[in-house]
Amino acid sequence: MKYFFPMLILLLLFFGKGKDMKYTSSFQISWEVLDKAPEFFVLQWKEGTSLTPSKTDFYIEVDSMGKQEVVALLDNNGKPVLYTSEISAPVCADGECKLMNIRLYWTLLGEYAGFDRYPELPLTKHDHDEFKISDYQKLHALLTDDKSILGRRRIDQLVEKPTMRTVNGVDAISGATVARVKESVVGGALYSCYVAWYLVHGEIRDTLKNHTLSVLSPQMVSNMLYSKNTDYHLFALSELDNAQYAEHYLQITEVFKTSSPLVRSIIAKELPTKFEGFADLQKPFWEAFDEIDLGSRSLLLKHLDKAPLFAFEILSTKLGTMSKNQLKAFLRNLTGKDIISSEVHDNLKKFANSENETYAYLAKSFLED
Amino acid sequence: MKNLSKVIAVTFIFIAQCICGQDVLVEAESFDNPGGWVVDPQFEQQMGSPYLLAHGIGSPVKNASTKVKFEANGAYHVWVRTMNWVPGIWEAPGKFQLKLNNKIIDKTLGLRSGWGWEYVDKISVSNNEVDLEMVDLTGFDGRCDAIYFSTSDKEPPSSPKKLAEWRKKVKSEPNAPPQTKSYDLVVVGGGLAGCAASIAAAEEGLQVALIHDRPVLGGNASEEIRVHTLGIYGNFERILKKIDTEHYPNGSADAKLDQKKRDDNVKSYENIDLFLNHRAYDAKAENNEIQYVDARHTATGERIRFTAPRYVDSTGDGWIGYWAGAEFSYGRESVDTYGEDWEEHGELWSPKEPDNAVMGSSVLWGSKVTESIHTFPDVPWAMPVAREYAKVAGEWQWEFSNPDYNQIDDAEEIRDHMLRAIYGSFSNAKKDGENANRKLEWVSSLVGKRESRRLVGDHIFTFNDAKEGRKFPDGVVIEIRDVDIHYQTVLEDEKNPDFISEALFYKTPEYYIPYRSLYSKNISNLFMAGRNFSCSHAGLGGPRVMRTTGQMGAAVGFAAALCKKYDVNPREIYSGYLEEYLALIEGQKFEKIPEVKK
Repeated sequence: MKYFFPMLILLLLFFGKGKDMKYTSSFQISWEVLDKAPEFFVLQWKEGTSLTPSKTDFYIEVDSMGKQEVVALLDNNGKPVLYTSEISAPVCADGECKLMNIRLYWTLLGEYAGFDRYPELPLTKHDHDEFKISDYQKLHALLTDDKSILGRRRIDQLVEKPTMRTVNGVDAISGATVARVKESVVGGALYSCYVAWYLVHGEIRDTLKNHTLSVLSPQMVSNMLYSKNTDYHLFALSELDNAQYAEHYLQITEVFKTSSPLVRSIIAKELPTKFEGFADLQKPFWEAFDEIDLGSRSLLLKHLDKAPLFAFEILSTKLGTMSKNQLKAFLRNLTGKDIISSEVHDNLKKFANSENETYAYLAKSFLED
Repeated sequence: MKNLSKVIAVTFIFIAQCICGQDVLVEAESFDNPGGWVVDPQFEQQMGSPYLLAHGIGSPVKNASTKVKFEANGAYHVWVRTMNWVPGIWEAPGKFQLKLNNKIIDKTLGLRSGWGWEYVDKISVSNNEVDLEMVDLTGFDGRCDAIYFSTSDKEPPSSPKKLAEWRKKVKSEPNAPPQTKSYDLVVVGGGLAGCAASIAAAEEGLQVALIHDRPVLGGNASEEIRVHTLGIYGNFERILKKIDTEHYPNGSADAKLDQKKRDDNVKSYENIDLFLNHRAYDAKAENNEIQYVDARHTATGERIRFTAPRYVDSTGDGWIGYWAGAEFSYGRESVDTYGEDWEEHGELWSPKEPDNAVMGSSVLWGSKVTESIHTFPDVPWAMPVAREYAKVAGEWQWEFSNPDYNQIDDAEEIRDHMLRAIYGSFSNAKKDGENANRKLEWVSSLVGKRESRRLVGDHIFTFNDAKEGRKFPDGVVIEIRDVDIHYQTVLEDEKNPDFISEALFYKTPEYYIPYRSLYSKNISNLFMAGRNFSCSHAGLGGPRVMRTTGQMGAAVGFAAALCKKYDVNPREIYSGYLEEYLALIEGQKFEKIPEVKK
């Protein structure tokens, strides 16, 4: 999907007496070193980090304001770590326009990274009230959501009320869309939120990601793998070959345990192929079985037919964490195979005889057969 | 081995005596008066039978009652087939008791893990009959499949295969249903697709049987599930307006307004024989041609065999095709299978490696504010699912899918997971003083599925067909709706509940589904319409909504009429009669003017 920043033009057409107005940016771009985390920030900020601004060819075209420069923030090796832009953009509603001033940050993949506000130029709501800190936090949460419903609706669609019928006086349930918008935007500041979301998630995303790809180094990939950002994890995992996978297997185990279920699912699916020839390195992943989500466990169990024997021993100590389908899959993989060690057998027996285990009966009938 | 044979032989004789003698099996769904319990036939193929469900959304339901007749008086052991639907460290949520001749039997039921038999008591029968009641204790979805009275103390079998055989013997049920009915077209599944197929075929003069396992038509659009119909009418506006819905919010009681319209309209066709409350349980094909479909009444158990030269599978789960041996697919294809990549959403849209992370099933629900305070019971068994989530109503985002669950095989657990999500979230919301007067108003007991088996046709409709607006000579279904694919939000952040989904929308041009996606590739006389049509996972993203599936149904119904006219199979309509087929579709758009008025 392409996000259309010209939505701002639409805004002006719909609501603007301000369409003929010209604005002047409230500030000049800052070329100062960034040595502290942005106030609202999705990434981890390492103590002592110092990022140097570097000019790029990229900009965001803001209606009535012209080109807003985007700057790369470089580390000591001259490689980009973040991108930023100091934005002044008009927000128009009901024929009245005001400037929104905000410093936005993007990750290396062009995703939203955070923002800084300007205490002397606070964001304001429709009724001219200034944003409270909780409003800024809500804006941060909204901008973090790259799939927000704002991305799929024109502003006029977000303010209209759903038509409803009633049956025999029974309450109808309120429209899902309106409820979701209300939940996600800052109260009284729909227009500011809308403009900010399109600034962050506009075409600049692809531009920045492409720039990163053009200067990508192994160290940058490694930094992403060792970060706590799930988008970085997904990207880094897709960049690693089998040898690098083996080299970083401990960190990948850590990612497996702590990252999102989506990241885990990819690691789980690729386990046998990525560790081809390094079966022993799979061990910590099987050991993490009871620390990961239900879905990733099931994906891991799909490899049981080709799993090393230690996987069965490890799993036999974690039977109580398995769902019914997972336990069935585990037992099915034991059936007809000469792989039940005495340790596995003892653990199964203990589980089968436990009064507190919901699915003990499955293990019992397996042992009986 | 010899001794084992003896044991088996002795056992068989013993059981045979019991069956021929005095033992009685009472199917719960066949009770004379189900009271407040509801017949739930959704999971028959998984757990073996329709059953009675005490779906009281927190308030115990009225007793179900029936008379049980015995050939002989005496002492009988009593078993109940039931299940604790949330086994764990809490009291079972769905408990109930039996009442015999107006006397409660102490034993609390609904406690065992997994479907099976619970022993109740040994009772004495005099006067050759017993007044039997089921007494719900909780209102939280206790369930009972059957009650068995036996002079023997031997527990009936539990494994699905042995249980099915045992049931047949106990009921002295022959393989073939006692009656056979013949039609020009047998349509199985009365959702929008099945209704439209029946109407289209009936308008062209075919004698149609429409088999549906609920008391009302519409499937996901019915007042029982309450999803509004989306998509456009395409070539079939006149027909679809008879059966679709207004754009009420999902879960709204407004669904009732459209229910009557739909039921009345379908019933107005004299040549549609409507078999409501009948669930198909088997289909047999010989030489890749379906010979019959067998269906059973969900309450009485009465069985009918349906025969026809052609069949429509609009069951949603592709059951007819599955039983007949049709090729089918399930799950998400790898991104390379059909090249269905959307880089922006990567793995969420189309995975690098194939998997079973299909779009999930919804259970819709709502509450209302009343004039007095309402309490809601503690539901500790729901909390591991709901966690801190607090809501007073559920929309389409209330959806569950997980690689651990198959949308068909594990449908009961999926429904139950959603019930835990709903009860737990409402319980959390009730802790807020603002909701003191709020009362749970409606929670569906039916699971509204988005995706399950997809039967394979001569063409597999993919995301790319929609994205490119690919034109087909037989493009009989037209749609402009975005392709949207759902994923569970927990995938991106474990703090999210696992029962809430999000949709990814891809804006497409107008796109077309070819007729070749609406009949089976390898079963020669089988059409399919609805979410089980021939498509990829991503291909299903756009046309799975119900006006589009309704278009599929209507397209199939008209094709069936031409099949009859020329005595040909579905494929031959494409290869030999396409022009006439397209003309027929064009010609049906407006009500025909009666000859007398011309």
